[in-house]
Amino acid sequence: MSQTEQAGQHRFCPRCRSATVKVLSTSPVAGVWSVFGCATCLYAWRSTEPDENTDPDKYPAVFRLKPEDLPNLPVAPSIPARRRSGAG
Amino acid sequence: MRAYKDLREFLSVLEQERQLLRIAEPVRLEPDLGAAACALAHLGESSPAIRFDNIAGYTNAHVAMNVHGSWPNHALALGMDKEAPLRDQFFEFVRRFQQYPGELERVASAPWQEVVIDKDVNLYDLMPLFRLNRGDGGYFIDKPCVVSRDLDDWNNDDVENVGVYRLQVKGRNRIGIQTVPQHDIAIHLAHAEERGEDLPVAIALGNEPIITLMGATPMRYDQLEYKMAAVMQGAPYRVVKTAKGLDVPWGSEYVLEGRVLNRQREAEGPFGEFPGYYSGCHQYPVIEIDRVSHRKDPIYDAVYVGRPWTELDFLQAMTTSAPIFVQLKASFPEIVAVNALYTHGLVVIVSTKTRYGGFAKSVGLSVLSTPHGLGYAKIIIVVDADVDPFDLKQVMWALSVKVNPAGDVIILPNLPENLLDPAGQPGGMSHKMIIDATTPVAPDIRGHYGEELDIPQGMDAWRLKLGALIKDLQK
Repeated sequence: MSQTEQAGQHRFCPRCRSATVKVLSTSPVAGVWSVFGCATCLYAWRSTEPDENTDPDKYPAVFRLKPEDLPNLPVAPSIPARRRSGAG
Repeated sequence: MRAYKDLREFLSVLEQERQLLRIAEPVRLEPDLGAAACALAHLGESSPAIRFDNIAGYTNAHVAMNVHGSWPNHALALGMDKEAPLRDQFFEFVRRFQQYPGELERVASAPWQEVVIDKDVNLYDLMPLFRLNRGDGGYFIDKPCVVSRDLDDWNNDDVENVGVYRLQVKGRNRIGIQTVPQHDIAIHLAHAEERGEDLPVAIALGNEPIITLMGATPMRYDQLEYKMAAVMQGAPYRVVKTAKGLDVPWGSEYVLEGRVLNRQREAEGPFGEFPGYYSGCHQYPVIEIDRVSHRKDPIYDAVYVGRPWTELDFLQAMTTSAPIFVQLKASFPEIVAVNALYTHGLVVIVSTKTRYGGFAKSVGLSVLSTPHGLGYAKIIIVVDADVDPFDLKQVMWALSVKVNPAGDVIILPNLPENLLDPAGQPGGMSHKMIIDATTPVAPDIRGHYGEELDIPQGMDAWRLKLGALIKDLQK
């Protein structure tokens, strides 16, 4: 399978369904697998994983995310206030 | 006691002791690696470590898992006989823990400097990253030693920190890090972000077994894990400084150097975590990797995390129990032993002598104010000195006959709790419970205990004799 064909199958993120999928890497032995990543929700998957990890229609509902919910994820640890200059 | 110089030496000892399985057949990164390591956790408490040497898509990748994943492996990590009973491992761990501090041995070079990549880093090429559980949001490095220093106190070795924190690889050189607020690296990060600077970190992967145990031990902020590792292995701990000035184990397989990016957070998770539940997603800090060094033919070391028990529970067993024991013992010499083996000490069983009525309840309250008690210990069971807290049959007997819920259960509302405890309401808060399963003593005169059964005269001699005969019988 060529890389273009693979990318075609992996156009949408299985988790958040955004069309912001990039090839993050390909296997050191050519043609065995590609790793894809979603630039929106940062989910990553490999072309050779079971369908539930690679296919948006088979991805388990319980793990899905909506892009609009991402800014509301809890922040940990919280970002502290900047010290005033000269305060150490 | 034994100082293993690196992971390779420990794996060869495990192999000699028949505690290492080698899998030469081809395996897929998913789901084979996670599935095999999970299967070992289901095969009992003596499971071997496992090593995979033929991984799909790589010409020469090696993965080790379950290295700490059984009581025999844990005993061998401590340089003890592989059949050492749990109770003996606890007391030996405590004995060494109390010898703190040991020494560092600084040397100029290390085998992990053999191969250096300092541009176009691609972690997916360099290490066989894989998904452990199906709901994990990506590929996690889950058994690293993350080294950092305090930018406000840079040259103070004692506040340098080595911690095991989960890392989600999100791009070729981009990693998310979980820095739980109760952990020391969160202090380093807060200081860096107050200053408006990146925090330099070194991530050491594939280490001899002791430093990983120390990275998982809740120690004081001013205690350095390398100095604790030195007393645990009975020899100075050998480290090498990175160009930035961070101390890294001499024996590591991989060393990743980078920076926690100043004041940045982005989506991380979920990851199947120690309570046996997925963690959910958060906005966590981000690390950018600038440089990777590794040995020739590096071995990638990972831990399976799932519903307990798994290898992770062995990593968090004595490392959680011993500090609580030492901290309690400082105030109460009556304490006999502490079992915090269950789910990283969400349940803690303390065995103690009792001075007077109500004493056990005071001990239980003290557990809640130990550093680990603040964020974890949720259910405290206090048993008498003659009940072995590591023997759950004895603990259940104590619960069965020493507890009258009318006066032996205390529930304290709304105390701090680890974010990963799914019972928290809201997350990070929980009621906590103390169960006094000791025999009431004056002036607590509840119950009617009378005479407790003891053992017939001569039982110990018969036990020795029969034990030997049974061993012969079963040869």
